[in-house]
Amino acid sequence: MTEILRVEQVTKTYGKRGEKQYQALKGINFTVNSGEYVAIMGASGSGKTTLLNILSTLDKPTSGHVFINHEDNSTLNANQLADFRSKQIGFIFQDFNLLENLTNRENIALPLSLQGISTKRIDPLIDRIAGRLGIEQILAKYPAEVSGGQKQRVAAARALVHEPAILLADEPTGALDSKSARELLDTMEDLNQNDGITTLMVTHDPFAASFASRILFIKDGKIGKQMLKNELSRQEFYHLLIDHLDTDE
Amino acid sequence: MIWKLSLTGIKSRLKDYLVLFSGLTVASMVFYMFLAIAVNPAFIKNDIHVRTDYLKYIFIFGIVLLVIITLVYLLYADTFLLSMRKHDYGMYMMLGAKSTRIGRLIFGETLITGLLATFLGLILGFGLTWISLKILISKLGLEIPHFQVILPNAIIITIAFFLVIFLVVALANVYKLTHTPVITLLHEDQAPVKFRYRPFLRVIEAAGGVFLLAIGYYVMTLPKEQVFKIIPTALVTIVIGSYLIFAAVFSSLVGLLLKRKSFSYHGIRMFTLGQLKFRLQSYTRVLTMISLLFALALGAITVGLNFDSLNDLATQSVYYDATIVSNSSAVKKAESKLDVISKQTYHYKETKKILYFDQAELSKQPAKYVSVNYSNNRGVTQYTVKALQVNKISDSNAIDNTIFMRMVPNHGQQKVKLVSSKELSKLSGQKNFVSLLRVKDFRQAYPIIAKIESQQVKEKPAFSALVPQSKAAFYGNSLAYSSSFEFMGFFLGFAFLTMLASTLMFKVLSGAAGDKAKYRMLYQMGTRKQLLRRSIKAEIGVLFLLPALLGVIDVLFGLQLFKDLLENPYRSIWIPFVIFIILYSFYYLLTVKLYEKLVLTKE
Repeated sequence: MTEILRVEQVTKTYGKRGEKQYQALKGINFTVNSGEYVAIMGASGSGKTTLLNILSTLDKPTSGHVFINHEDNSTLNANQLADFRSKQIGFIFQDFNLLENLTNRENIALPLSLQGISTKRIDPLIDRIAGRLGIEQILAKYPAEVSGGQKQRVAAARALVHEPAILLADEPTGALDSKSARELLDTMEDLNQNDGITTLMVTHDPFAASFASRILFIKDGKIGKQMLKNELSRQEFYHLLIDHLDTDE
Repeated sequence: MIWKLSLTGIKSRLKDYLVLFSGLTVASMVFYMFLAIAVNPAFIKNDIHVRTDYLKYIFIFGIVLLVIITLVYLLYADTFLLSMRKHDYGMYMMLGAKSTRIGRLIFGETLITGLLATFLGLILGFGLTWISLKILISKLGLEIPHFQVILPNAIIITIAFFLVIFLVVALANVYKLTHTPVITLLHEDQAPVKFRYRPFLRVIEAAGGVFLLAIGYYVMTLPKEQVFKIIPTALVTIVIGSYLIFAAVFSSLVGLLLKRKSFSYHGIRMFTLGQLKFRLQSYTRVLTMISLLFALALGAITVGLNFDSLNDLATQSVYYDATIVSNSSAVKKAESKLDVISKQTYHYKETKKILYFDQAELSKQPAKYVSVNYSNNRGVTQYTVKALQVNKISDSNAIDNTIFMRMVPNHGQQKVKLVSSKELSKLSGQKNFVSLLRVKDFRQAYPIIAKIESQQVKEKPAFSALVPQSKAAFYGNSLAYSSSFEFMGFFLGFAFLTMLASTLMFKVLSGAAGDKAKYRMLYQMGTRKQLLRRSIKAEIGVLFLLPALLGVIDVLFGLQLFKDLLENPYRSIWIPFVIFIILYSFYYLLTVKLYEKLVLTKE
């Protein structure tokens, strides 16, 4: 399996030298292979948001390196980083982050038009991903006119339409009711298993994490333990995870 | 404690506050200047040539217009102020501050900001008034060496006007904020925008808008006999037409562009268009108002500058540039400064019933006069220069005696009789003379001629009866009229343009807080900063361009109204346009900079 993401000795320290400093990440190492579904779990303040910001190139590590598709993004300048994000990374956020003034179709088209994909190719690509996510009916509507679950599907379509190397999901079910959350997680699992989409999800929700094939636990700025799903069913993995969290407390 | 919080809140947004503050300062500064000119005692004393009381009325008219624009401007400035503070107020209330307490805070903040700006504006207003009066007095050719710029009346009225406005605004703010749920105050930025779809209605609105504007523009080209029908019709059709154009035409155009995927699926265009589509909807009223007031401001400057051509008209009805009746050294000295191209002198004696003129002098050089013919059916006045028919002088029906009225004071009932020089000398009574002068350039000579006439009135009080008929008097009055219109059009137009451009700026900036998340998201998605900046420039550019464009078209058609009054209403139209472009571009760039600062976060 090819390696998609490699994180090497990443640290992040806030505060200037000589002032009171706070180390949010204390040497993070891990890799994600192509087609993997990895969840990073941690409580508030564990450093997971900092880590996600660094992985998504929105923030720079104090030391260490992040390679996506073998490219070290610490060597890139601001424009190259922007281009890198637009090509290699797909984002799903907790609060959808759809543009309210564009229709759902236009929202999904945005990453493609930003990349300069020819206008003729854009609509077929949107239709394909919309079909895959079951949102063909709502493409002409505005985000404000559809449900939360549908919004998150539109967001997922937008994150995936340009076929990024990796899908980064930040608490994607955080703002959804349990039914919509379940549907979204099923879809993400399906996309991972059948379309081979490499996914990295950051969450504090054990139920959401149980859909992943591997879970990394982050605590006080360090990756402590990891759990592998292997041959377990999702329910079994979930129970194992709950047991682990209980004993870990 | 809560005042301390409020101060820190203001401090953290100091730059935005400074923009707001400077806008308010300019408003009170210009207001004071107009008032100080309108009530200035320097103009109350009448000059013999210039009726300065015109000025007062023209400037009071200016103040009325200024009050209207100031009110509109303050309304939008206040919305911006509130948009900056809303979140903070919500936070204090969430933390448990009582709404009466917050009410007092809002009231205090609004009033203090307003009054500080008013006071600063007053102080700057003294300087501006001094400069303006200097310019105005020299333009009018008046001799007023000492004038006041600090006028208690004007100060009191300015303070009272702004105090009342800010009191009302402060109370309205208190009401608005204390009646808004805390949660809305905190999260208003994130509230989804409503968009109305009614494509059919939209088409009707668009067609109606274009139709009404066309009618409005058409009626302004009609003959001016029906001016009382034309102006109300144009006003109604253009106001409603502009509104419909902004409500339907422009946003439909954006919608069409958005649908044209070969255009919109290109870089960040889709986002820019999406922003515009929604903005045009919520900006309909402000854009309409701005386009109309722009037209008024531009029109005021253009027409104001063109009133100068009336001065030439005023001088056409009198043939001679100056009348000299004194040979005192003072008059002679002044006369020597004139660039005289012709001078004819006539001697006469008068009794109660008869005016005796030297026949040889009149026959050799018959005096000329201008015959004015108003009978033209298009209302255009015709001026013809005629020479006095000396042989017909005894026939009082055949001769236009106005010429003698311009030569001899209080000539009315006397008969004119021509005699030889010898006979004239023999007649009893004082031998008088009158010299009629033509100079090379009347406008240039006007100040000297006006001085000569004043001097002659001093020496020979009876001469004052001739002054109102003189070319200098006609010109002086016309000058007072046109200069004050020109001056007012210029300053008022300037004040209008400044306030309108900053009104638009405040309107755009008020929405910035809500756009921050969008730009952050685009950045996360991998949009380059330059592209985001370009999008902001384009979006704000369109919002600035549309009302300007419509306003310019309004002016171009609107000037048709003046085509009978002014020789060429389109003359020197480039001056207001250049001023407009410079001012407007300045505000556009400032808005873009401030907006970028508000929405683009540093990473």
